[in-house]
Amino acid sequence: MGSGYSMKNLTIQNVSKTYFDPYAGANVTAVHDISLKVNQGEFISIVGPSGCGKTTLLNMIAGFLPISGGSINIDDKPIKGPGADRGVVFQTFALFPWKTVGENVGFGPRMRGLPKKECDQIALEFLSLVGLEHVAQKYPNELSGGMQQRVGVVRALANNPDVLLMDEPFASVDAQTRMTLQEELTKIWQARRPTILFITHDVPESVFLADRVVVLSKGRVLEDMPIQLQRPRVWDQLIEDDTFKGLSAQVLSKVRSA
Amino acid sequence: MIFLKAWSFYLRLVAKFPIVQTILPFVPLVIAWALVTEYEVFPRAFLPGPMDVINAFGTLTYKGVLTQYLEDSVVRLAVGAAVGVAIGIPLGLLIGLSDRVREAVWPVLLFFQAIGDIAWLPILLVWFGFSLTTMTLIIVYTVLFPIVLNTSLGVRSVSTDLHRAALSLGASKLRVVWEVVLPGALPNIMTGLRNGLGYGWRALIATEIIVGTSGIGFMMFDARRAGSVVEILLGMVVLGTLWYVVDSWVLAPIERATGKRWGLVTQ
Repeated sequence: MGSGYSMKNLTIQNVSKTYFDPYAGANVTAVHDISLKVNQGEFISIVGPSGCGKTTLLNMIAGFLPISGGSINIDDKPIKGPGADRGVVFQTFALFPWKTVGENVGFGPRMRGLPKKECDQIALEFLSLVGLEHVAQKYPNELSGGMQQRVGVVRALANNPDVLLMDEPFASVDAQTRMTLQEELTKIWQARRPTILFITHDVPESVFLADRVVVLSKGRVLEDMPIQLQRPRVWDQLIEDDTFKGLSAQVLSKVRSA
Repeated sequence: MIFLKAWSFYLRLVAKFPIVQTILPFVPLVIAWALVTEYEVFPRAFLPGPMDVINAFGTLTYKGVLTQYLEDSVVRLAVGAAVGVAIGIPLGLLIGLSDRVREAVWPVLLFFQAIGDIAWLPILLVWFGFSLTTMTLIIVYTVLFPIVLNTSLGVRSVSTDLHRAALSLGASKLRVVWEVVLPGALPNIMTGLRNGLGYGWRALIATEIIVGTSGIGFMMFDARRAGSVVEILLGMVVLGTLWYVVDSWVLAPIERATGKRWGLVTQ
């Protein structure tokens, strides 16, 4: 694994997920039939109301849940369980409380068997992407929520994954911090061009971040919409931008009809 | 004003010598005890005063009896606790990680937990006699259950997202146990250890009373035979003091350096 990202495409083909709900006493279908092709370097938002199957889909791509039907491939190689080729950023941040910030970010490289010194160096390098190299020695609980999620993002990036899966990562931080994090994420994406699959229920967020917004409804793809907005994207400009407003309104009406 | 001044003096004193905070609550207790004995509310032979106990402490330490007995008791507890931890933590991990192991072991575990430590004494005496083996087995048995139960509880309390995060960062399942499950369960393991040592300490004294030829429990029971109430009281003071020392010098520092530092336990 080098520092760059090799050409990798994620292909989701007719994927479905059915599970047995012991409380309802019946089978529940969370994902009916989803097909999606994610190209190397693309930034895709998946948006939809709660219960539309977006988190289930992400969990299947991450390998946390087995698929019931269809296939998920990275370059024709079916995924088998969780793996370092798919980095995940969690809504709960999921930082290891017993490891320092630096150890958290260096965790992936350490699991690859790199020597400790090199891991520390990689950690500092990635922490500097979000201006947090000065907190490397602190424990996560000593940081604010916004800082913790910055660490969560660069921890996943430090492993150079083929795809970065983000599950409503900014849902639990305050509104101002969220805007800053969104701008930072687009900056990092522009600089390093990782493939990102971003799950959210926040329509403006989905439009602000992505090249493509996929609207899910009842376990199916309702809409797959390209977002042609200039980069770098900054809230101060876009909030007044007519194209942005129009696209947001379009996505919102799709989500609400879902 | 005087009250405020006294209070600020006390705060400065405590900041300088933390031991004051430990000793101060005992002052009224000891004064009351001294008064009760001074005015002979109970006959002196039944309730000796604090000074008598301190004198007995001096004599017994001088003779080397107290130090020898104390060492015996502490070593027994340490050995028993070490064995209990060595069995308890892996077993608790297994039970916490695998539903199958849990289903198989749980009923048996609860069954044997109900047979309290001392209830094993009759059969152990038949098998191993009045021996160190008997005492050690009792302590291991007592320490084991709180550790197993709390460890498995701790394992299950580690959030799914932390498991998933480690796996998707490339950790193997074995690595996840070491890097995520064990530290995540540590606050619970410490609770188990604290309870286990507390129960084990009590079980040890009880066992020494019945089985012992040395140790603090033996000293107290032997003193009863000799009619020396002062030595019984001394034994009780030693028990309380020793537990306080173990708790504040061994267990509390570990907890401060781990769970509290990580924000897993509220301060």
